[in-house]
Amino acid sequence: MTMNKLTFERPIIQRINAGLPSKYGMPRHLEPLSHIDGVSIESLLQEFGSPLFILSEQTIRKTYREAYRAFSSRYPKVQFSWSYKTNYLNAVCNIFHQEGAWAEVVSGFEFQKALANGVPGELILFNGPDKSTEDLRIAIQHQSLIHIDHFDELYEIIHLSKEMEERPKVAIRVNLDTGIYPLWDRFGFNFENGEAWDAINRIMTSQKLDLVGLHTHIGTYMLSTDAYRIAATKLASLAVKLERKYGHILQYIDMGGGFASKNTLKGAYYPGTDTAPSFDDFAEAITSALMTSDIKPDHLPMLILETGRALIDDAGYLAGTVLATKRLSDGRRATILDAGVNLLFTSFWYDHDVRPVAPISDQSEDTTIFGPLCMNIDVIRSNMMFPLLKKGDRFVVRRVGAYNMTQWMQFITFRPAVILLDKEGNSHVIRKRENLETLNSQELIPDHLQKFDL
Amino acid sequence: MLKLKSNVAISESGFVFDAGAGDSFSLNATGLEIVQLIQAGKDFPEILQILSEKYEVDPESFERYFYDFVATLKQMNLIEQDGED
Ligand SMILES: Cc1ncc(COP(=O)(O)O)c(C=O)c1O
Repeated sequence: MTMNKLTFERPIIQRINAGLPSKYGMPRHLEPLSHIDGVSIESLLQEFGSPLFILSEQTIRKTYREAYRAFSSRYPKVQFSWSYKTNYLNAVCNIFHQEGAWAEVVSGFEFQKALANGVPGELILFNGPDKSTEDLRIAIQHQSLIHIDHFDELYEIIHLSKEMEERPKVAIRVNLDTGIYPLWDRFGFNFENGEAWDAINRIMTSQKLDLVGLHTHIGTYMLSTDAYRIAATKLASLAVKLERKYGHILQYIDMGGGFASKNTLKGAYYPGTDTAPSFDDFAEAITSALMTSDIKPDHLPMLILETGRALIDDAGYLAGTVLATKRLSDGRRATILDAGVNLLFTSFWYDHDVRPVAPISDQSEDTTIFGPLCMNIDVIRSNMMFPLLKKGDRFVVRRVGAYNMTQWMQFITFRPAVILLDKEGNSHVIRKRENLETLNSQELIPDHLQKFDL
Repeated sequence: MLKLKSNVAISESGFVFDAGAGDSFSLNATGLEIVQLIQAGKDFPEILQILSEKYEVDPESFERYFYDFVATLKQMNLIEQDGED
């Protein structure tokens, strides 16, 4: 005999903390996220395996255009330069290059990657303290824009310019006090103690290098637009001094990256969606500082931006599968996922937005979300109100586009495939899932270790 | 047999008050039904039978949910620790 039975909801009891509402007021219902750009996450996991990184081309282009419009509507010459380390999957870089961004690289490897993607050498900004002599030679040959980090590098470039009989195009990286601490003073030349002005003088008096720009990168995940206003004001004052003393006009001022994305920092009281300034806010601070500086209006340099995380975080998702649920010794719920800090480096900084893919239950419980690694540090969220998923249920983590696909580690398992959803909703594998062969192809076994008897 | 602590009061709406500790809790509908059955002295096989007649749930899943739920009640100090005599 069959009869209509009621749907069963698993039994739950929750403590009521009178007078102690949770951090964001009453526990909110966590909406499931089943589709990205109209494509079912479940079907992508079935087709490409679990876990899986998913990128939305539409979101990348939309975010880029928003950022570009914010600056170009306020300033005559604006140029973005894609910060390769944020996400240097070639398909991703090429989306930014199609949108008009140059390349910003910090190593010989990234430099080669940009060249191989077809970026003309003179549109590559070469940053960072890690440039070998060979890297510098190649950059000089390609007339790339070399951002000098320290005096050793400055002298080496002067030396190479003589040896190669070339006139390298350079900028200096300037670090400065913007009221944000700690100062990022390990990179570049300091503004306040006069070192930056010193470096400029040595470049100008050497007559071997073409000083084309000034560069700064004041920090990352910056929530203060005022810090950018201060930094732009200080760089503008150097440009004015340079023109006054040498009659030399700079081609660009590069404000680096650092705009906060909408992720929520660990321990932050309000969610990042409420606290991150908009592109318009940052643009207003930077461009108004440049326009009101003493730089002559017809000498206003091009404004370069190396925005990383704020351009790509929103476009990236990490989907996967629940491996198990457990109860911790203090009674809290633990949910174990097939993706951990090996794939989600940013979970050390962010309280990531983790969602169920399918509607499971209206009930949620204080839960710790673990990855699959056999280590205590493998925590994606240390406590969040999360519905009771069971083995095999799917999850998705939002806003993971920045830094994870470059800083991921290969540990006890393979790195997963990365797919890109194009504007029509077609999925393209842009990085294949690793396999045993991928990893073994890098290994060599000496003859005497080829065989064993057990 | 499972036994709720004597100073625990449960309302018809699923509100639970532990007068000993001063803590309060809320139960969802199935949680409330199970607690009421425990209060009425039913054991696991009886509770399983009653609920699986009413709800769409297989015995295996029910058993897991039930024991997990009871572990939570113990964790919250709502059940006599020596309740299984
Ligand atoms: C020189 C430079 N430019 C740009 C970036 C990109 O920064 P973000 O992702 O914070 O925008 C970085 C990152 O640290 C950087 O070091």
